[in-house]
Amino acid sequence: MNSYWALLKILIINYFGISLFQIKNQKNRRPYLKKLGLFLIIIAAIAPTIALYAKLLIQGFDLLAPLGQEGAILTLGIVLVSSIVFVFGIFYVINFFYFAADAQSLLALPLSGYQVLGARFSVVLINEYLSALPFLLPPLLIYGIKSGASALYWLYAAVGFLLVPLLPLSLATIPTVLIMRFANLSRRKDLLKILGGLLVIALAVGYQLLFQKSGPNAMDPAFLQDLLTDRSGLMNLMSRVFPSTRYLGLALINADQLGGLVNLLQFAGLSLLAVALAWLTGEKLYFKGLVGSSETTAKRKMLSEADYRRLGKGLPPVLSYWAKEMRLLFRTPTYFINSVMTNLLVPILLTIPFFIQGRNQTTAMPWEKLLSAASGQTILMAAIIGIIVFMTGSNAITATSISREGREFFISKYIPLSYRKQILAKLLSAYLLGVSGAVLLVIAVRVLMPLDNSLIAMLLGVSMVAITPVIEAGLIIDLYNPKLNWENEQQAFKQNFNVVFSMLLAILLGGAIIYIVIRFIHTPVSAALFMLLGFGLAASLLYYFLMTWGVKRCQELAG
Amino acid sequence: MIEICKVSKSYNKGKVKAVDEVSLTVHDGEIFGFLGPNGAGKTTLIKMITGILNADQGSIKINGRDIRGNPLEAKMQFGFVPDDPNIFSRLTGIEYLNFMADIYRVSSITRVQRIKELLERFEMSLAAADLIQSYSHGMKQKIIVIGALLHNPPVWILDEPMTGLDPRSSFDLKEMMREHADAGKTVFFSTHVLEVAEKLCDRLAIINKGRVIFCGSLQEIRAHAQANQSLENLFLELTENE
Repeated sequence: MNSYWALLKILIINYFGISLFQIKNQKNRRPYLKKLGLFLIIIAAIAPTIALYAKLLIQGFDLLAPLGQEGAILTLGIVLVSSIVFVFGIFYVINFFYFAADAQSLLALPLSGYQVLGARFSVVLINEYLSALPFLLPPLLIYGIKSGASALYWLYAAVGFLLVPLLPLSLATIPTVLIMRFANLSRRKDLLKILGGLLVIALAVGYQLLFQKSGPNAMDPAFLQDLLTDRSGLMNLMSRVFPSTRYLGLALINADQLGGLVNLLQFAGLSLLAVALAWLTGEKLYFKGLVGSSETTAKRKMLSEADYRRLGKGLPPVLSYWAKEMRLLFRTPTYFINSVMTNLLVPILLTIPFFIQGRNQTTAMPWEKLLSAASGQTILMAAIIGIIVFMTGSNAITATSISREGREFFISKYIPLSYRKQILAKLLSAYLLGVSGAVLLVIAVRVLMPLDNSLIAMLLGVSMVAITPVIEAGLIIDLYNPKLNWENEQQAFKQNFNVVFSMLLAILLGGAIIYIVIRFIHTPVSAALFMLLGFGLAASLLYYFLMTWGVKRCQELAG
Repeated sequence: MIEICKVSKSYNKGKVKAVDEVSLTVHDGEIFGFLGPNGAGKTTLIKMITGILNADQGSIKINGRDIRGNPLEAKMQFGFVPDDPNIFSRLTGIEYLNFMADIYRVSSITRVQRIKELLERFEMSLAAADLIQSYSHGMKQKIIVIGALLHNPPVWILDEPMTGLDPRSSFDLKEMMREHADAGKTVFFSTHVLEVAEKLCDRLAIINKGRVIFCGSLQEIRAHAQANQSLENLFLELTENE
């Protein structure tokens, strides 16, 4: 176990980029203060959302208390956090267990699989606690305070908080380790890592859907009656996604009874069992998946005359630069999973549930009525454009486009291609991926809902323009403060505040658009015109800014 | 031809002078070696010549084009081999070469001919279709050298080019540098291997703590010191006395 602790300590210092020794001994504290400042900005940015969440929980509590169902707000928080931990967990595990630069070097040390996997698991767990905090703390506090809970409740809540991420993180770890073990058998490792990652996500989505589908139909009157009369009815319904979360919910509402303790022990037992299973899988398979994952196969084949002929065609410099960007985006697993896939995932995640659940033949889907009115179409349009804006901002293709170059940034400085053209090529990569995501989303929505052709045309037209200011803003963010000094590709993404800023900006912009359109505009045509004008104006201004300040900034940045 | 005039660069708000008022002229048809101990300012100066870093003061011209005032034309004049060959590891060798040919606007006929010729010369023909990440250090170095020479640049700048090359490749590279200079072009390279400098350079400069402490031919450098002193002793003496 000593090796585990030693490794954990090193990984924490390395992963979070903090060392108490350094902080104490370094005269220049500016970098740390800067980090703290950024952290505070992020807190300030998400504070309104948390406040809204807390308000909803308080209202939910008041509404449910007369029915004796107020405990449902606890389950809501627990299930929400479990889902977040699970989805983030998949990305963290793929990136941090397999793509980290130091993953390979640890193989040479006399450590066993469970120690290395365990230490990495623990680092991810710390990360997950941080992600869980804003979602789990409010319901625990609100329920505790409003119900005047006893000391035991607070004790159980603290223990519960520590236990909640264990099971979903283990559930994210086990299939990932399994798939990566077999992905490594093959020769095209990068490609298989990407496919493996996709498969894990598909399994994850499938698992969730299976649980949702296996439950009773929410529209069944008998079920509804049970739901409202049984004290833990709502809780049971919500905990279907992660069944074990029910035990923690019960433990908390029955904290003063013996049954509560039993429930807590049941929850702890299940969570720890899941961790044990994950670590055991790690002991058996983790190293086998890692060994040779950095090997690359080479064909060592002579180029044919046809290859040379193709070569002769060439591309204009700006397109060649763009092609290089696209190749690196698609071939680097970390970039592909975090950037390209984010774009594709939203439309897929949105469509699959409806396909699996199928249409209920007897009742119309709720939106069919909504769509028949012009105001409904306007709302839908605003919502879809809002989602597209959010997708484009969160794929962070431009918000990491300088950072991704890392130490290779010097190449951009010495090649005879103007910064203006380099900026254009970077925008073009993000634009094409943004447009493909938007088109996919519109197709997905069209599959689900009967949309007019004119509405589809407007949606496509507006999204082509709406994407532009978002990607331009992303590039400005990255140019302002690029993260060029990284050891492995995932740091360019995972430890890059620019990604967070780009996402926050997209949330803000998407939210503002939805709000303005829903509040003030009532027909789809005027909404389209408003958005075209607004986004178009923003795109032009930001383009001008990029071509003046951005070019100057490229000159200033040292390679 | 490279003309460096009173170029300075400092870090930490002027506290650390990496390059201090350096002036040098490298003529056409010569191989110019740039020597200095680790951290002397060699790479900083090369970065300023190639436009990777901006000089705080002074001017740098490549074949008469100012790197700050006319960067694109200046950059077209040279081919650059950086000291770290770990770049674009997820492109294949041939994709990288094609990219460089596009960027330097090498015509269709010339590019195929040059790529073929250089791949054969560096014995890289069999590896060109593979990802650069599958190459050894020396192979990566070779593909970068090939990429730098595709547009047949009038000025060839190399930062520590011999590192990681096997004896055969190192010999070939030196021969190519000689051919380049004999064809009336300029070769400028940095090294800390004195033997290479001694055998290859027409002229050389020694830099220490950011200042050029000597610039001239090997004969001049020897005359400057005691007779028959080895370059190694001379180098140690010059850099220690600073």
